[in-house]
Amino acid sequence: MMTEQEIREHLRRIAYPGSQRDIVSLGLVGDIVTRANEVIVHLRPSSASDEVLRHLAGRIVSLLSAVPGIGQVTVHRGRAQGTGVQPAPVAPPPQQPLPGVQCVVAVASGKGGVGKSTVAVNLSLALKALDNRVGLLDADIYGPSIPLMMGIEATPRAGQDRKIYPVEKYGVSLISMGFFLDDKSPVIWRGPIVMSIVRQFLRDVLWGELDYLVVDLPPGTGDAALTLAQEIPLNGGIVVTTPQDVALLDVKRGIAMFRQVNVPILGVIENMSYYVCPNCGEREDLFGHGGAGKTGLEILGEIPLVEDVRKGGDTGKPLVVQHPDHPIAQIFRQIALRVIEKTALRQ
Amino acid sequence: MPKPLLVTPITEERLVRILWDDDRVDDYPFDYLRGWCPCAVCQGHGGERRFVRVENPQLVSIGMVGNYALNPRWSDGHETGIYTFEYLRMLGEQRESHDQDQVKG
Repeated sequence: MMTEQEIREHLRRIAYPGSQRDIVSLGLVGDIVTRANEVIVHLRPSSASDEVLRHLAGRIVSLLSAVPGIGQVTVHRGRAQGTGVQPAPVAPPPQQPLPGVQCVVAVASGKGGVGKSTVAVNLSLALKALDNRVGLLDADIYGPSIPLMMGIEATPRAGQDRKIYPVEKYGVSLISMGFFLDDKSPVIWRGPIVMSIVRQFLRDVLWGELDYLVVDLPPGTGDAALTLAQEIPLNGGIVVTTPQDVALLDVKRGIAMFRQVNVPILGVIENMSYYVCPNCGEREDLFGHGGAGKTGLEILGEIPLVEDVRKGGDTGKPLVVQHPDHPIAQIFRQIALRVIEKTALRQ
Repeated sequence: MPKPLLVTPITEERLVRILWDDDRVDDYPFDYLRGWCPCAVCQGHGGERRFVRVENPQLVSIGMVGNYALNPRWSDGHETGIYTFEYLRMLGEQRESHDQDQVKG
């Protein structure tokens, strides 16, 4: 029978996915126990995802089973019992803290009033129209307007173990701060409270299986927005702005916020980009033109200032579901397609 | 900015091993990691960053903070240190260039 050392040498032939380094030198292989012709390999607790661990376990079993003299091979996660060393610390997997959610995209703005929530709603519905399972987290705690924009009057149901079921509308699952506040009370919360509430949303809401979770962040780059951008495991960020040069300053702040917390920026959406005269059809650049282009980031789309968009939000029937053939609904679908492309590249 | 691909605490050797996505590997002995804790409790406000000597620190757990940092929890209950990837990378390179003399404090 082989010694533990010899088995360890064999395992040096297995590289960690995405790296040239082998799993032994990375310290991933912990204790190795041999009994007769049976081998038990213990992998140390680490940040490796379940998927990677399953892959590695498969590699270990097939590699060692092919070695003469070795019969049964078992791979355990965690350490051998009774080795006298205290339990090893565990690092949770870096990504995927939201079970069942494939991709989390945040919509932010450098300042308020640029139509961030309108964009978040229509983008979610456009993603849904492209056959994705979509959730929408209205984390804009200061002005949770999405229930109104989606025409939702129901409140979320509570399940067992204090779990919360999101409200479904137009095929999108929604959770909003607005569900838990009455219309009249002002929201005067500091970052830590905001965070504990959003943490609860992330932990206790039963989102189910989602392809995309769109998060509508609070406007600006203050305490609440920054805390959320830090704590939510985001796969990408989108900054919404208006075209004038003055707004550009705020966009830069929004971009810097995402950069600081290592969230990849998918691009900029220019809202109220231009005005098309309903009588003569002429395009007018009310707020100037090309401001967002100066950020050096990709412009995911330019959404004109059109009454139908505003009306959709005010009546609770967003444009993308109310008029799917509207040219602006098409712009939103194009933005959604681009978001899908860019997030798929990163994964 | 490089990000960690794999974080593995190795208790027997009293260190945390980090594999970066550019294939560099850094070892962070518990004493070194705890000593360079960046939090305001350890560092105060302003001034030069200093090494805080702690007797025999044991790592309880280490978790991710969003997409940008690691947060270790120590056996003495200390858990306010948020080590950005940038800072960790700097600590790894500093340890290499100082030929490990910082490790001993």
